Amino acid sequence: MLNIKNLHASVEDKQILNGINLEIKAGEVHAIMGPNGSGKSTLSQVLAGNEAFEVTEGEVTLNGDNLLDLATEERAREGVFLAFQYPVEIPGVSNLQFLRTAVNAMRKHHGKDDMNAAEFMKLAKEVSKQVDLDPAFLKRGVNEGFSGGEKKRNEIMQALLLQPKLAILDETDSGLDIDALKVVADGVNALRAPDRSIIMITHYQRLLDHIVPDYVHVLSEGKIVKSGGPELALELEARGYGWLGINDAAANH
Amino acid sequence: MKSASILSSAFLRSAGQALPTALLTLRFDKASALADLVLPTRKTENWKYSARHLKLTDDMASALPISSADAANNPVGSLIDSPVNTAAYNAGYTVVLINGVVQPQASSYPVLEGLSIQCFSDLNEDDAVLAAELLSKSISDQPAKSGSVNLSQLNGARFEDGLLIQLKPGTVIDQPLFVIHHTTASHSGSAYPCILVAAGSNSQFTLVEDYVSSGDCSVMVNTATEFSIADGANVTSVRLNTEGQSVQHMGTTGVRQQRSSRFESHSVGFGGTLRRHDLHVRLEGEGAECKLNGVVVTRGSQHYDNHTTIEHVAANCNSEETYRNIAADKSHAVFNGRIHIHQDAQKSNANMSNKNLLLTSGAEIDTKPELEIYADDVLCAHGATIGQLDKQSIFYLVSRGLSPHDAKVLLTMAFINELVDQIPIEQVRTIANIGLNQFFDQAFQEV
Repeated sequence: MLNIKNLHASVEDKQILNGINLEIKAGEVHAIMGPNGSGKSTLSQVLAGNEAFEVTEGEVTLNGDNLLDLATEERAREGVFLAFQYPVEIPGVSNLQFLRTAVNAMRKHHGKDDMNAAEFMKLAKEVSKQVDLDPAFLKRGVNEGFSGGEKKRNEIMQALLLQPKLAILDETDSGLDIDALKVVADGVNALRAPDRSIIMITHYQRLLDHIVPDYVHVLSEGKIVKSGGPELALELEARGYGWLGINDAAANH
Repeated sequence: MKSASILSSAFLRSAGQALPTALLTLRFDKASALADLVLPTRKTENWKYSARHLKLTDDMASALPISSADAANNPVGSLIDSPVNTAAYNAGYTVVLINGVVQPQASSYPVLEGLSIQCFSDLNEDDAVLAAELLSKSISDQPAKSGSVNLSQLNGARFEDGLLIQLKPGTVIDQPLFVIHHTTASHSGSAYPCILVAAGSNSQFTLVEDYVSSGDCSVMVNTATEFSIADGANVTSVRLNTEGQSVQHMGTTGVRQQRSSRFESHSVGFGGTLRRHDLHVRLEGEGAECKLNGVVVTRGSQHYDNHTTIEHVAANCNSEETYRNIAADKSHAVFNGRIHIHQDAQKSNANMSNKNLLLTSGAEIDTKPELEIYADDVLCAHGATIGQLDKQSIFYLVSRGLSPHDAKVLLTMAFINELVDQIPIEQVRTIANIGLNQFFDQAFQEV
């Protein structure tokens, strides 16, 4: 599904990623952990196509196609989805209008007709229940005045609507209380499918109690320094990052 | 040193004499008072940003002719290429003016108890005296502040015709009256449309003014709209400007509000060579309130200048003002909002917000809130911002599969949605949205 080879990237001339190699097969869930500043969010932004980040070396393919050649919107239409760590508030655009525009952009790309307003409303209501968001949120501005947890649930709702091939969840667990975490985890588990890959970026083991990954990778200074199974996350929880030779000062805060 | 330019006397010669004596006398007096009017320069305070766009040549002085063909044609000569035309307006409530002259054969309005709609040339002597009185008390005609020039005063010196709309006390008109101001710019010249509204106590009325044009010669459209709103009356004014690029538009709307009256203004303006609108509201009776909303979009080398003044003359009045400007390419938008709270206007509550969006680095927006407060127990808030589209917001939308173009349109529309949605007339919202979408398609074409 996704193949990352020797990926280097920088932002504002600061080198962040220093040769990432990662292969993710269809149906797999990979967790990426690591201290602050290790490049976790940069990796997700680069994969989604944020133009503020520059790829300086390496290649990324999605089902054999060169992902880095595609514009941001083309990646989205080919099935790349990024759940933002800090979803953007857009007053004046209703959540419903935004979601329908996005779903129809996707449908158009795949040669399908637009979904009409009534059909979409029905679908959106079902999906909003799945992430325990009151359908009233659909009428509000995109993320406008949403709590941290509501924003994260809105991200998962978008993933459920857009049905991506590759979902990248950037710290979707941060800022959630235990109930909200459970709702978000249920949403992510509902996304798991044999033809879908998921990358979960997280600081903490606790999300992985609810969503058990197939693989766990530790990122440090823009490289993957350790990979393993779910037990690696437990070991990190117990021992911190120090035993891997990583300066863990940031992660302790 | 270059001597100051004086308004050419050619602009003070009015042609038509088919008006009642009271109005002819008033027009003559106004023209006399404007002799030797000094034209504004960039040093003129209230024309600082617009003076360089003002180009009054003598060939623009003559009143634009009205041919029978013009009068017969359905006036759809708007900047907006729209399938919605005057036919979409309620057919029974439409008055058409061509070059400032009422076209009875193209107009149809109801005969309703308590409502009187008359063109100036039809006024009897009593009504003519009333019209002259409204015009002589016109706010646009007040002695200008020192250092300012009010070119809309020209309307009083030149109007050829106009509409006097009177509502008897308690008259409630539930349909809006659409007034289409069509200017034919197939020759150089000028037009001076004038609308007077006298709303009796506790009456209700909505006036929609749609300014459109055809042709592309240099013309000046110099407008005056005056509202006299008696106790407890509720009046809404909707103003749409979709005139062509070559029109230099200078308009004034004056509003006098008595006790417990309410006035709402909704304006949507598309830029041109020169667009200037002065909106002046006087809250003269206790408990009066006004709400002024405005949206302006400019592109290319267009210019749009909104000047508003709200005077809190009496106590316990509320005013709420919200203007949004969007400027693309190398265009220029101006907002100057003045709130003047008089000494006796205790417990005044005034709120003014102006937000601006620059779509390119070549565009310019100037905004100036002006507060003059002479009472000590008032609530007065104002805020002005100028910003650009947020890159992170664009990325967020594009990462969901929207094209960059659609993402920008959605974000830009979001900036003004709230104000467009508040326009109380569906047909106007439809026309405004068609125009705005065309604007966005053009503004984001090369981005």
